[in-house]
Amino acid sequence: MQELFNLISLDIQRFAHVKAQGSTHNGRDSEGRRLGAKAADGQVINAGSIIYRQRGTKIYPGKNVGMGKDHTLFALVTGVVKYERCGRDKKKVSVYETK
Amino acid sequence: MIIIKKEDNLITIKGHANYRDHDDIVCASVSSIMYTTVNALLRFDSNSINYQDNEFVVSIEVLKKTKETEILIINMLSLFKELSSKYPKNIKIESEE
Repeated sequence: MQELFNLISLDIQRFAHVKAQGSTHNGRDSEGRRLGAKAADGQVINAGSIIYRQRGTKIYPGKNVGMGKDHTLFALVTGVVKYERCGRDKKKVSVYETK
Repeated sequence: MIIIKKEDNLITIKGHANYRDHDDIVCASVSSIMYTTVNALLRFDSNSINYQDNEFVVSIEVLKKTKETEILIINMLSLFKELSSKYPKNIKIESEE
């Protein structure tokens, strides 16, 4: 079919008061998970309190610290929180009971 | 509101649909119907109409009355009429013959 040069190009918003932006498929994001430390070094916490929320083991469980299935670290006893080195390049967190 | 006026051989379309700020379906419908008709007329005979768009008013002047131009114009106007019956606040046909 022969293409005519003088056809009018389609402007679907020709009679629009406010032109719409080009549609985008982006613009979605999930809610922040509030990860990270929940108890600071030297802080006194109760048994069962959460110390650190993380994805994977950024920080390992040390003395008197348990780890949930989502790698959340929590205190097994009431005591003082201590962030320590673990090997060459790893960290761990422990809770030392207060006398 | 979009106002469509037909007087003898001249059809004018002006205004804004104001149906919705973005993705205005009434505006899109009127635009699509008009461009489809105009390009069909030009494909039949590029001298059959005089099409002008000065951003405020679109005017379509029928220069040659043929069976094709009659059918296409009648079809366009009937679709506009149908739209105006469904969206009376956004599109209006004025001074029909």
